[in-house]
Amino acid sequence: MPEDVERMDLVDIISEKKFLGQEFLTWLWYKSEERGGAVMLPGIGDIQVVFEKHMLLESGAGESLEKLICKGLQTELQEARTGLLMGKKLEQARMYLARGDYEWRLTLSATLFEYRNASLPRTVSSGDESSDPLAWEAKVLERIGMSEEIMHTMDQLYRLFLKTRTGAEWLQEKARIKAWIAGAAEH
Amino acid sequence: MGLLSRTATFVRYSVEGELPENFRDFVAERIAHFSFQDIDDTVDEYSIGWVAVDNMFDSSFAHASYAVGDYIILSLRIDERKVSKTLLNKFSFKEEDRLKKAKQIPRLNRSQRLQIREDIRLQLVKKALPVPAVYDLAWNLADNTVLFFSTSAKAQSVLEDFFRECFGLSIILQVPYLAAAHLLDLTELENLKELQPDIFV
Repeated sequence: MPEDVERMDLVDIISEKKFLGQEFLTWLWYKSEERGGAVMLPGIGDIQVVFEKHMLLESGAGESLEKLICKGLQTELQEARTGLLMGKKLEQARMYLARGDYEWRLTLSATLFEYRNASLPRTVSSGDESSDPLAWEAKVLERIGMSEEIMHTMDQLYRLFLKTRTGAEWLQEKARIKAWIAGAAEH
Repeated sequence: MGLLSRTATFVRYSVEGELPENFRDFVAERIAHFSFQDIDDTVDEYSIGWVAVDNMFDSSFAHASYAVGDYIILSLRIDERKVSKTLLNKFSFKEEDRLKKAKQIPRLNRSQRLQIREDIRLQLVKKALPVPAVYDLAWNLADNTVLFFSTSAKAQSVLEDFFRECFGLSIILQVPYLAAAHLLDLTELENLKELQPDIFV
């Protein structure tokens, strides 16, 4: 942890570094569309990331904060794409993730990294209602494991973003994101 | 939305500091000491403590039921007798009106009104039933993180204070900037410190 992080109050960190989570989520939307929903995680391979039809975009801060909520099956996220063109970034998005045999649906909020309404993969023990303590423990461990698994997957996506964002390749990546956003306006 | 619900809502905390030696004994003693105490049969306004994740009426944790694998799983239960502002206003004004008529005075002074309001609040609190709220958590002892199954800022604030009081350990919400510290090398972290918001259009 950088030394200054320890000294910074959490409230200051949240307000000053809010852009990091929002840029990550916006980048992830771009990344998921770059190869039709497949995102390559180094050392792991392709995982599926698909943004679904519920998004919250933001721009500005304080009194100049503007929010745009997009949801509905017919929108095809067109309004959200227009929001990007207006300089807004993603604050919250509903997405589908698949890794190996498991699938998750969740809403991620960018500023605080909150995982909301996460539907976890159904497993063998998911429906086990037996009163056997061992079966109950197995079910609990599996549910925690699936919650941690989606967080670790998100960590790996976040690491991929951070390495790009703090590296020399960011300028090229940003140019591609700009082209993607500009392309959205033509559709 | 809790640990055992069909869908889950959660945030991650890191636990700061070293776990004490004889951790299992330590944690058993602390959980017992900070277990939930029922206030249904009292007039207490507020009670907070640990209960079992699968049963909010179990605060005895037979056979250390909170220990599951490498995790401590607990529910934070908070019972509170609440009085609605509307009710408080109604009965305070009623009492003020009664007193003004009884004393044949046009108005009461500020300190009298405040005293009436506090007396009425205490009377109503005694009549109110404690409303329970339960929040699950899973403490991963292997990597010293806590999953907390609520995004309520108030619940998170209460948890942070109660966890510190109970275990003597601070927990810190893993917002993006802090989460990055676990994912990057030192050079990248130095670059991260200097980052400014970028524009994508």
